[in-house]
Amino acid sequence: SRRKRARARHKPCALKELEVSVSELGLGYESDETVLFRYCSGTCEAALRSYDLSLKSMRSRKKIKKEKVRARPCCRPLAYDDDVSFLDAYNRYYTVNELSAKECGCV
Amino acid sequence: DEILRSLAGPPSPPGQDPHGWRVPVDCVRANELCAAEPSCSSRYRTLRQCLAGRDRNTMLANKECQTALEVLQESPLYDCRCKRGMKKELQCLQIYWSIHLGLTEGEEFYEASPYEPVTSRLSDIFRLASIFSGMDPAANSKSNHCLDAAKACNLNDNCKRLRSGYISTCSKEISATEHCSRRKCHKALRQFFDRVPSEYTYRLLFCSCKDQACAERRRQTIVPSCSYEDKEKPNCLDLRNTCRTDHLCRSRLADFHTNCQASFQSLTSCPGDNYQACLGSYAGLIAGFDVTPNYVDASTASITISPWCSCRGSGNLEEECEKFLRDFTENPCLRNAIQAFGNGTDVNLSPKNPSPPVTVPPKAEKSPALPDDVNDSNTMYDTSVITTCTSVQEHGPKLNKSKEQSLCYSETQLTTDIMPDQKSFVDQKAGGSRHRGGRILPVVPVLLLKLAL
Repeated sequence: SRRKRARARHKPCALKELEVSVSELGLGYESDETVLFRYCSGTCEAALRSYDLSLKSMRSRKKIKKEKVRARPCCRPLAYDDDVSFLDAYNRYYTVNELSAKECGCV
Repeated sequence: DEILRSLAGPPSPPGQDPHGWRVPVDCVRANELCAAEPSCSSRYRTLRQCLAGRDRNTMLANKECQTALEVLQESPLYDCRCKRGMKKELQCLQIYWSIHLGLTEGEEFYEASPYEPVTSRLSDIFRLASIFSGMDPAANSKSNHCLDAAKACNLNDNCKRLRSGYISTCSKEISATEHCSRRKCHKALRQFFDRVPSEYTYRLLFCSCKDQACAERRRQTIVPSCSYEDKEKPNCLDLRNTCRTDHLCRSRLADFHTNCQASFQSLTSCPGDNYQACLGSYAGLIAGFDVTPNYVDASTASITISPWCSCRGSGNLEEECEKFLRDFTENPCLRNAIQAFGNGTDVNLSPKNPSPPVTVPPKAEKSPALPDDVNDSNTMYDTSVITTCTSVQEHGPKLNKSKEQSLCYSETQLTTDIMPDQKSFVDQKAGGSRHRGGRILPVVPVLLLKLAL
């Protein structure tokens, strides 16, 4: 229902996880190994700061025109998980760092 | 054996406080007890001076040294043991060998293990494995078990962290000439095998394979290009001698010989028909510096294990060298144990007493081997909602009645058994007959609490 969808869209910023194969990560590695991919998702409405409101006001008053600014906080990783290592289809080991989020926040 | 016998000695009336029992003390603790006693501590100091830089015969020629050794045989230091991966393991082993090097002939082919006997069984691991959600190995015959094992590890934070730890250490290039740091690689492997529960590590190491890709993955588990292979193959006896100069390597090798030595008296060719003990010693040896064993190729038909050495250049010790090597390459106990783990089978022991031991404390201390993230979504340690019997019976007709019964545990017992380091001693020797079913002796939790202090 629409109400349910609306509620889902307004979930606050939090850590979520997916089980994906290394190939699916799109990093160019070929491996069937499964890894846990943790990511940040959710809204940041509660985290609007005076900065964001003022920036919005400056933009509407055309005091800021040409620059690209963002007047809304955004749900991003505050910290990344430890390295992930895997064996690829050609029996070579690889280690990827900062693949997965560990902690999320509105920044 | 003496420890088991002394443990098995007094009968266990239900509810009795087990504090009065004589339990094997670890050597660090035994050393503390000895230090508190002036006569013991002075003898121990004497013995250590006797042993330093002298061979056994010169040492025993000295009257003072001989007396010291005799006195110490009465002390708790004499039958103390160590635990694999324990805190201060190295210190414990140093104390152990300081006494035992004086007691043995020195150049024995097999040495007694300084580690506590392993009493858990492979079936204990399978019981846990069946708790892994939706990872029934029998479900998909086409699946690659080694790949499944990597998945299980990657989905557990502790296993993933320590696996990535050794993989990145072992595949880190140092310079153009030095391919990797072997020493650091071994250390990282040791941490992985000591700190990750065997449900994960054994699955990676002993997964069963039907095709070559799987077998190659299995062979690659320990990153052999760094941890195993070398430019040249040294002589196996040289390798053993190097190993014996190091307390940790010597201990792990002795433990392997104790638990994996082929025996013709048992059904499985393993001492005490204990596969778990053999696999554990094998895994313990991987960290054992240069004697690290591995699969020699990616063959699926036959499993051949060997350390990176050969018997070329053995001179007149050719026979001894071959004997040493055969304990890896042609060892029916080791081979049966690996195959049994891969097939998910264990020796059919008589059913254990299904009622929970009375004196086991309800909530035991968290053991250091447990992952930090006990509350993680995919953890298997949360047993409060699991009924083991049903999950075992889901395997269907593969298990016969008696096995089902032996795998059914009450919740209380499961919660204590499930701790990887909590083992109940199963009394097999006392009473003469194994078929009467072992009594479970509830002493170990107390010992573990002591160790933790």
